[in-house]
Amino acid sequence: MSNMTETPPNDIGTIDFAVREHRSLWMDAWRRLITSRTARTGIIIVALFIFSATFAHYFWQYEPKTDLDYSLKLKPPTLSPNEEVPSVHIFGTDKLGRDIFRRVIHGGWNSLRVGIVAVGISLIFGGLLGMLAGFYESMLITSAERLVLFGLVGFTLGLLPAWIAAQPLQAILLTVLGVIAAYFNTFQADKKSNRVLIFAIAGALVTALPAVFIGLTMAAVCGILGLIIGSILALPLNGKFFSTTVMRVMDIILSFPGYLLAIAIVAFLGPGLEKGMIAIGVVGIPVYARLVRSAVLSVGQKEYILAAQSVGESHGRIIFRHIFPNILSPVIVQSTMGLANAILSAAALGFLGLGAIPPEPEWGAMLGDSYRYLTSGAWWAVLFPGLAIMLSVLGFNLLGDGLRDALDPKLRT
Amino acid sequence: MGIACNLLFLQQLRGAERIRPLIFGFCTPNKEAHLSRYIIRRLVSVIPTLIGVTFVIFMFQRLVPGDPAVAMLGEHATQENVERIREQLGLNRPLFLDREALAEGNIKGFFDSQYLRYLGRLLVFDMGESIHRRIPVAETLKQRFPATLELSLFAMLIAIVVGVPVGIISAARRNSWLDSVTMVGALVGVSMPIFWLGLMEIMIFAVILQWLPAGGRLSTGVDIPSITSLYLVDSLLALDFPAFKDAFQHIIMPAVALATIPMSIIARMTRSSMLDVLQEDYIRTASAKGLAERVVLFRHALKNAFLPVITIIGLQAGIMLSGAVLTETIFSWPGIGKWVYDGILGRDYPIVQGGTLIIAIIFVVVNFLVDISYAMLDPRIRYE
Repeated sequence: MSNMTETPPNDIGTIDFAVREHRSLWMDAWRRLITSRTARTGIIIVALFIFSATFAHYFWQYEPKTDLDYSLKLKPPTLSPNEEVPSVHIFGTDKLGRDIFRRVIHGGWNSLRVGIVAVGISLIFGGLLGMLAGFYESMLITSAERLVLFGLVGFTLGLLPAWIAAQPLQAILLTVLGVIAAYFNTFQADKKSNRVLIFAIAGALVTALPAVFIGLTMAAVCGILGLIIGSILALPLNGKFFSTTVMRVMDIILSFPGYLLAIAIVAFLGPGLEKGMIAIGVVGIPVYARLVRSAVLSVGQKEYILAAQSVGESHGRIIFRHIFPNILSPVIVQSTMGLANAILSAAALGFLGLGAIPPEPEWGAMLGDSYRYLTSGAWWAVLFPGLAIMLSVLGFNLLGDGLRDALDPKLRT
Repeated sequence: MGIACNLLFLQQLRGAERIRPLIFGFCTPNKEAHLSRYIIRRLVSVIPTLIGVTFVIFMFQRLVPGDPAVAMLGEHATQENVERIREQLGLNRPLFLDREALAEGNIKGFFDSQYLRYLGRLLVFDMGESIHRRIPVAETLKQRFPATLELSLFAMLIAIVVGVPVGIISAARRNSWLDSVTMVGALVGVSMPIFWLGLMEIMIFAVILQWLPAGGRLSTGVDIPSITSLYLVDSLLALDFPAFKDAFQHIIMPAVALATIPMSIIARMTRSSMLDVLQEDYIRTASAKGLAERVVLFRHALKNAFLPVITIIGLQAGIMLSGAVLTETIFSWPGIGKWVYDGILGRDYPIVQGGTLIIAIIFVVVNFLVDISYAMLDPRIRYE
């Protein structure tokens, strides 16, 4: 028995292809990834960038607030110490005599942080919204989910009359009305007769009656709102309605050009690296929502989802066990490219003085700090931080391109 | 419909030189009707988007910390003056709806809010006036818009004129050294921080070589009669070649910086779209019957490969507008982008509101036009 399973070393090359060792899907993708030259270049750049930034952050302490030396102001790059510049600055020094090489390396840590946090924000919110939108667009909702949907619609819309009349009671009443509507939609779906009329009147009554105590005009306005909300609740709302609402909101966010929205958000939150992360993350939300939704929609048509449904698996289980693993590859590709974009946007914000606050080493802010000295010939203060931005962004883009080819061989052109 | 489809197919076969793939969907019986219905449907969906845009812009500008009335009068203004200015600007009104007025039974007062006043003013193109300089926003916008338009159009021209041929050539010579070089170049272009590229341009061409001016739109002393307000076009119309040269020297660096990312994206898109089409059977047929490669590439392949490229070009228009904020800041280009940036730094709400709104509206309108043109070219879209 044992001599059958043991293969002599010199026979490895002649093993039948059909009985080669088992390789997982991910292992296969990894092999495809490292055989592509562009992807390898990307991996090397990204690894170098992550390693240098992390290493510098933990083992090469840097205190930006105390780092200045006016005697070394704007010195060109030197490879060996001389009498004018006693220390070595391979990238030169900036307007405060700080070593640019050191600041570029430490700036990498900030860029890495921005990238990860911003992509994390977009991925969590956008991915979740897109997942739910795509799932409920392709799937019939259960009665419990319908209950939640109608209750939420009633509550959200009810907030408006509740706020106008300053009476929280109305939102609660409309939520109850939503739940009742869900009941009718589930069990009396065939009796359409005059449900719209009944719910419109009910909606008008529950919003107008509490408002009568404030004034008749108030009651009239609230009544009209209640009428509209009631008739909306009488409609057979389903998953498609939820999906359309979410995607419409995403479209509105997408209708702002990227940087502009980020700049507007930072203008609102105030400058700072953390706020930049949030701004860039928010801008990315619709991108991921759309991507995940379309991926879920295409997966949702597959037979194995139908099979999972027909054996009675819960929706949560279908989402996490069957849909989630199958939409991972486009999400991974988009996130890698998203990291590149986030680094680029963070640098742009920093350059405009809306990102990292000055003594903090950040590539964009370093450029913004020293581009005024370009006319006096200090090219090194501008060249190296910019190169760092370009190389790291290029690295993530190369990796993303390679990942796309590796994870989805059908797309390869 | 099936018969009509066959007939059309036969008609096409008769002119063998003019075989077009059925992708273009000549089977649609009355495509004009479908198209107009599609346009109307798309137009209706633009309205909530526009309202959402005004809402978001209004919210952001009102939630920004700092009181514009104080910003206008300075730190040492008296309380009465601040109150008076707030009253004048309508800042003392509630943001959306005045529920206290309604509680008193005053319906007109209920709708008299900052947001609704803002919308009402927008309908008559009144965007308020700049807080610091007291110039109407709409007027400055009118004055500054041509500068941004000229820069964006010129940059787009560069991006298309360079990007599309590069994409076609690298698709036609797939996997050659030319393909690798241009595609690595395109990837570097996509990864390029355009403000840094702009700075490098200034360093090389303005500081070291001193060939081109470092910023601005025109040298002082050069005068161009205003016809379209696009200096390049105007100077040509007036046959004023020295002025054209001057305007060209000013625009070329910011335009190249602005064009880099769209150019690279267009080149990549053209390449991958061409590669898809080149695998089709009708391309093989066209090659097999001995047509010149040039004819196959440009007449048969490009027509069908161009649809996704058009979408990408349209999307780049919006990205270009936001890129204009950076490019204009570096090259002191007197356009909307720099103006909005200065407005943000100076907390000048009306400027930021007006500028952002215009950019967002242009973006929405361009996307709408792209969708329409796409539907005109590809009837499958209209059935969505």
